[in-house]
Amino acid sequence: MREHGIRVSLSDEIDAAAALPLVDLFDRSEVRTGLRIALKVPHEAWAMFDRLFDEYWGGAPEVPIPPASNPTERRGALQWRWDGTRVRLEAQSEQPSGGDVPGYSPEQLLRRKPFDRISEKELKNIERLLTRLARRLATRRSRRLVPTSSRGLVDLRRSFRSALGSHGEMLRLARRARALEEPRVVLLFDTSGSMDPHTRFHLAFAFALRRAIRRVEVFAFNTTLTRVSRDIAPGRILRSLEELAASVPDWSGGTRIGQCLAQFVSAYPHLVGRDTTVVIVSDGLDLGDTALLAGAMRALHERARRLIWLNPLLGDVRYEPTAAGMRAALPYVDHLAPGHDLESLERLARLMN
Amino acid sequence: MNEEIRALQAAMERDGYVAERSIATAVYLAKELSKPLLVEGDAGVGKTELAKVISRVLETELIRLQCYEGLDANTALYEWNYQRQLLRLRIAEREVHDPKALEELIFGREYLLERPLLRAITRSAGAPVLLIDELDRADDGFEAFLLEVLSDFQVTVPELGTIKAEHTPYVVLTSNRTREIGDALRRRCLYLYIEHPSLDKEVRILRGRVPGLDEHFARTIARFVQALRLRELRKLPGVAESIDWARALVRLHLDRLDEESVRVTLGCLLKDEQDLKETDEQVVAELLTRAAAN
Repeated sequence: MREHGIRVSLSDEIDAAAALPLVDLFDRSEVRTGLRIALKVPHEAWAMFDRLFDEYWGGAPEVPIPPASNPTERRGALQWRWDGTRVRLEAQSEQPSGGDVPGYSPEQLLRRKPFDRISEKELKNIERLLTRLARRLATRRSRRLVPTSSRGLVDLRRSFRSALGSHGEMLRLARRARALEEPRVVLLFDTSGSMDPHTRFHLAFAFALRRAIRRVEVFAFNTTLTRVSRDIAPGRILRSLEELAASVPDWSGGTRIGQCLAQFVSAYPHLVGRDTTVVIVSDGLDLGDTALLAGAMRALHERARRLIWLNPLLGDVRYEPTAAGMRAALPYVDHLAPGHDLESLERLARLMN
Repeated sequence: MNEEIRALQAAMERDGYVAERSIATAVYLAKELSKPLLVEGDAGVGKTELAKVISRVLETELIRLQCYEGLDANTALYEWNYQRQLLRLRIAEREVHDPKALEELIFGREYLLERPLLRAITRSAGAPVLLIDELDRADDGFEAFLLEVLSDFQVTVPELGTIKAEHTPYVVLTSNRTREIGDALRRRCLYLYIEHPSLDKEVRILRGRVPGLDEHFARTIARFVQALRLRELRKLPGVAESIDWARALVRLHLDRLDEESVRVTLGCLLKDEQDLKETDEQVVAELLTRAAAN
């Protein structure tokens, strides 16, 4: 199960071992159910669990299980090189063309990535500035009450406690106020070809968020959605860049924003709650279904605390958000901002405070 | 099939809760292994109801803790009755001068207001069922606190000392998955996911829960709701909604589904303005055809 991405801990195994003697071992479906309950298989993984169960204990028609894909092997055509000052993405060899839809062709992948204009040092600087920004974008007050020395509601428990020292006279009232909450952020960024010139800012932003806030999820999307939170770990920028481009299929290809966002909404409902700020970075040039996009945006708008769309094209004064995708998404966006450079991001932070 | 699971399933069904084997198995395992049961699933599939039926089948008390954002340990565990304590203090001051005696006087059990968690732990007449409802609504700080309580079933009140559970309660936690439940807590529980019911199950539930509903009409209603669930809705109607709807139809003395009766009662099923708008006459007509089929 672990090989196929279902997380099972030792304690789950112990539970499974304890559960098995309690079920009827001659009853196949009962064993299956019992194991599923004891191993805490999440609903999303039921299909995989069933297949593994059938394969392991035979009996059912064999369905071949695709091996867990190794993302680094898939993108053999690209190679990251460190030339002393910067990272470069270079084509290693020719790769046969896979399709004839212009936006999706693998040739797009071979284009140079914009990271190669960003040095380690610059990235560090940007990160530092962005860290402050990220914190401001996402902080909020919780509903939970914590003791405070300034204004707040009267805390009877503590007031009474201190009153005991003065024979039951409440000389000072202890107070409680709403706690400052640790924020959650979900960042979804567009890695399609049209976004290439801006990618370095998004990445810097993603890294900055990771540094500022513990609970950050990062997704890259183009024609598919990829969860890349683990690749954006602080302190491993070089490796991250490498892994990222390797693990995101169709990097620099076309975009299907609607489909990707809809997939995000349905597959990761638990990542977006009332304490979540969702940031989408995209130019809104969508090749897919705009109705799908509108639906997903609405769902996000309802669930998230705040929905921010950063559109680099807004930096151009002549630009009007008329792309079909952008138009469909607009009604559900709390803040639409340029986000093509640091200054625009800072303006956004001011706007929100 | 394990006989005890079968018996449990039958007992639950007698009590009006139609449970698939997976549900009965989960309840049985949770009981035998003395582990909390974490129940997830869409709204209205009967998660809360499951806890209620367990308490009825085991003939014990149901203690419910409804979670909400900002719920803290005080509200969940215990609170002192400050008003009474202050009053007692005033009276006692005249005769008692030893501060220690004074303290013992006002921090007695009789001034302790038990909240659900403490009540579940201190119940002396057998193990109760402790339902911690909609855990995903509480902050994760509360989850960490819960982890502590659920692992030892003991609570420390600084003024009183440690109170240990006399009987380990049967714990049922429910979540609507608006937030991911932390791994640590998840690992401590057994896990049950309840899906929307199959057609046959839904018919049986309706028949069990709605008096005066005949088999044929129940089947039509269930088919309609099942067809409705296949549509792209923002809030899928759960079994709770189909029961409400069937009750409304029976109450209005409607014994068949047509466009008019659906139109006036659709609010029982769909509780989202957009969903209601999108389920227009044409859609209803289509659903009715599918409900009437076979």
